[in-house]
Amino acid sequence: MNWKMVIILPVATWLKVDKQVLMSNEFILEVKNLKKYFQVGRQGWFSHTETIVHAVDDVDLTLKPGEVIALVGESGCGKSTLSLTLMGLEEATEGQIFFNGVDITYATNEERKAFRQKIQMIFQDPYESLNPTQTIEEIVTEPLVVHGLARDSHERKDRVRRALEDSGLKPAESYLHRFPHQLSGGQRQRVVIAGALVLEPQLLLADEPVSMLDVSIRAEIINLLADLRRTRGISVIFITHDLGTVGYFADRIAVMYLGRIVETGSMREVLKNPKHPYTQALLSVIPVPNPRMRKKRIILQGETPNPINIPSGCRFHPRCPVAMDVCKQSDPPLIKVSLTQEAACLLVVK
Amino acid sequence: MGPQTAELKVSVASTSPFLDFWQTFSRNRMAVAGLVMLVTIITLAVFASVLAPYDPKSSVDITSSDIYNPPSSAHWLGTDDAGRDILSSFLFGARVSLIVGFFAAFISVIIGGTIGVVAGFYGGRTENLLMRFTDLMLVIPDLPLIVVIVALTKPSLLNIIIIIGVFGWTTTARIVRSQTLAVKSRKFVLRARAIGAGNVHIIMKHILPLVMPLLVVNAILVISLAILNESTLSFLGLGDPTATSWGQMLNFAFVRGAMSAGAWWALVMPGVGIAWVVFGLTLFGQGLEQVLNPRLESHHLSPGRRSVQSDAVIESATVKKKSKKRKDAPLLLDVRNLSVNYISHDNVVAKAVHNVSLQLHEGELVGLVGESGCGKTTLMLALMRLLPAAGQIVNGHINFRGKDLTTLNEDELQKLRWSGISIIFQGAMNALNPVRTVGDQIKEAIIKHMPSYAPGVLDDRVIELLDLVGISKDYKDQYPHQYSGGMRQRAMIAMALSCDPDVIIADEPTTALDVMIQAQILELLDDLRKKLGLAIIFVTHDLGVVAEMCDSVLVMYGGVTAEYADVDTIYNAARHPYTQELLKSFPDLSQPEKRLISIPGYPPKLDELPEGCRFAPRCPLAFERCTKEMPILHELEDGYHIASCHLVEGG
Repeated sequence: MNWKMVIILPVATWLKVDKQVLMSNEFILEVKNLKKYFQVGRQGWFSHTETIVHAVDDVDLTLKPGEVIALVGESGCGKSTLSLTLMGLEEATEGQIFFNGVDITYATNEERKAFRQKIQMIFQDPYESLNPTQTIEEIVTEPLVVHGLARDSHERKDRVRRALEDSGLKPAESYLHRFPHQLSGGQRQRVVIAGALVLEPQLLLADEPVSMLDVSIRAEIINLLADLRRTRGISVIFITHDLGTVGYFADRIAVMYLGRIVETGSMREVLKNPKHPYTQALLSVIPVPNPRMRKKRIILQGETPNPINIPSGCRFHPRCPVAMDVCKQSDPPLIKVSLTQEAACLLVVK
Repeated sequence: MGPQTAELKVSVASTSPFLDFWQTFSRNRMAVAGLVMLVTIITLAVFASVLAPYDPKSSVDITSSDIYNPPSSAHWLGTDDAGRDILSSFLFGARVSLIVGFFAAFISVIIGGTIGVVAGFYGGRTENLLMRFTDLMLVIPDLPLIVVIVALTKPSLLNIIIIIGVFGWTTTARIVRSQTLAVKSRKFVLRARAIGAGNVHIIMKHILPLVMPLLVVNAILVISLAILNESTLSFLGLGDPTATSWGQMLNFAFVRGAMSAGAWWALVMPGVGIAWVVFGLTLFGQGLEQVLNPRLESHHLSPGRRSVQSDAVIESATVKKKSKKRKDAPLLLDVRNLSVNYISHDNVVAKAVHNVSLQLHEGELVGLVGESGCGKTTLMLALMRLLPAAGQIVNGHINFRGKDLTTLNEDELQKLRWSGISIIFQGAMNALNPVRTVGDQIKEAIIKHMPSYAPGVLDDRVIELLDLVGISKDYKDQYPHQYSGGMRQRAMIAMALSCDPDVIIADEPTTALDVMIQAQILELLDDLRKKLGLAIIFVTHDLGVVAEMCDSVLVMYGGVTAEYADVDTIYNAARHPYTQELLKSFPDLSQPEKRLISIPGYPPKLDELPEGCRFAPRCPLAFERCTKEMPILHELEDGYHIASCHLVEGG
């Protein structure tokens, strides 16, 4: 035991990762070759047009208890579809999702109810994700009602109050009878978080939880999530298009492009030494709040292509500033760069 | 350390929703009149047995002289063919008509509501089946059908209620379905699913409460239709002979010679009753709709209030700031001591912008920074004189091309907007017209503001503008929905450039965009300013974006200038605590270990501003004076740098 700690502690400190994360061999979430395709166009009576959107195209992902992973990519890269598929709100086309070692990919609604409590989601727009006709108390109590938990009204009230206060809404009593429109954006996002916490989840899927908020308020929501991870050991998948907001508390980063993960690694390594040209570009355009440090930005031309027609070879090559001829033919897999870092680019082989 | 407390003080929860409802509702006098009409007739109907002077059914002891008596003191509204008192018949008839109306409408609303919700919520085959059935019901001429069915069945009151109810639900179903579709796609429904809620729970807790207001308004309409239907049936002689409704009164009078006897009173009263109820219901329903759908009220189209100049001297450092970099560039726009108030309908004044000054030189890019609700957008709208009707410029001057914009009238302003100062709005999709091609919309902007432009070269100009913002001319004839988010924002920029303005106001142009697209747009704006010598005011809450490209920065808080200086000073030598705190809250990837610091609390509401410094309640450095006295603008560094804080007093 002790000799293990001798190695693990310094590594954990260096990687800025909780030591629990390194020690554990168990995965809370394991995703294998996950694919989610949508059929668009319709089979009408008179026409038959069918196209397939490759929203998530062969994704592998693992998450340990208490770990925070940032899933980064532009709109249209499939990160939101991936999160909905993990939640079971979309059915996977292919592949497997294990939660605490149990395959939940094709679980029935009944089976799903049990693990639903343990995986909760936080949405992007706190103005839209709360029902305007419910009070804060009703919103936070609802998950307990749905799952038939805490039937005793005293216990129920207690859990709701605890969830609100853990989300930073103190004192809880002063919020219980208010309506969402009486709260500010940051407070509403805290209510959404409280609604997830009340079920005592093990995994939080946060889909752009701060992108609709003022920069000055983003910090408090991110700090809140960081605290929850530390005090409750909750794992977090933090989905965002902005690498700048996650550097602070993510352990690992997975960069997605057109339905696939193109680079993954510990947050520290990826930020310091990004290997994939896409990651490099994303990092370079993050604004630095100091005019003396204006830097060369790599601005990619155009936008993420339509996931109906995935480019041949490496799917990033049409926008890649360093693309070679071979990139048009060969689709690179994730290649190990270091102990934790992998990148799907032919350049890392050299 | 646990999670921080979100708010410093918790404001008092608002009054009861019913009181709110009544306050909004009572503002609509027509609706109140409708309500009074309904309450009157319902009261009369309920207390009919007490109020009616005679038994409406008794026709004993009548002689021929009692038939069709005109109104008299004994019979206020006269008598009918059987010598019965019309007032009494009218009161008891109200009972029958209202009962039929309400209960038939109840049946219709239940059927229509259920079909609408189920069709809208489940979609697919279920929806197809239910809605085609609804369409079928809609094209069947229901009145003749009702007549036939009533004629075939026993014409009892219950039968009439059921038959009218069963045929009156189609419009309800269609309205409810479309509302359900709209509610279903909202994010809180997805959130409920993510919690693990089933369909029944979602329908009951999330769909119904939001469909209900519409259903209530619709029910009012269905009631009046049901009353009309019943009257028609009774008039045709198909009513329940044992229950006299208004329609039946009409029928009797008509059939039994009231017309030839000249007994107009026998026909008028039931007619007035029907009209009274239907009119009352319409007014009431319209009032309800206005309360439940407040968007019907506010709009930006009414002309703004005239600007005024108050005589109050505003004590503060006069700004002679010129950006260090652009010292020699000519001054384009000079905003001095501008103040804007919002005046609500009950005359509450909110000081949205107070004493803000700003200079813009040719080719300069000024960043206007602050959290939401700090008055940034109000200031920009005031510069364009595009304030909503409640907004008023109460002090200050806006000097542009030798004119004071605060004194110009609408026609003179029209000439300056777009060709002098133009604006790029935040949500490009909402600012573009979805049913016209982008090229057309740019063309329209040119024609509108530069009528002298030769029509022959318009197309070339549009292509040139699109090229300027990096859109290929192949996209000229496409519609906004065929554009991606980034391209729409580029199209907005092309439109803003269409009349060669000197100044462009960019109101959070990149907020909703991905980082890479944001970088593209920022690069484009920077290029354009170099190429065309544009001066740009860039409104944002993102300090990082400002640092990347601005020359000078105006930090606003609670409607006042917190600090105004060139960009290097703001980022490296800020003096106002608000600027310092804002900078600390910004993530800096060069120091990822540092915990983010957020500013506790939220910006003040404009109608409840603190007495002293507006930032004092959130300021880490606040002392006693800050809560009492509002700081004036202090000049630091020869007017290159101004800040409003007691701490910088004396340089």
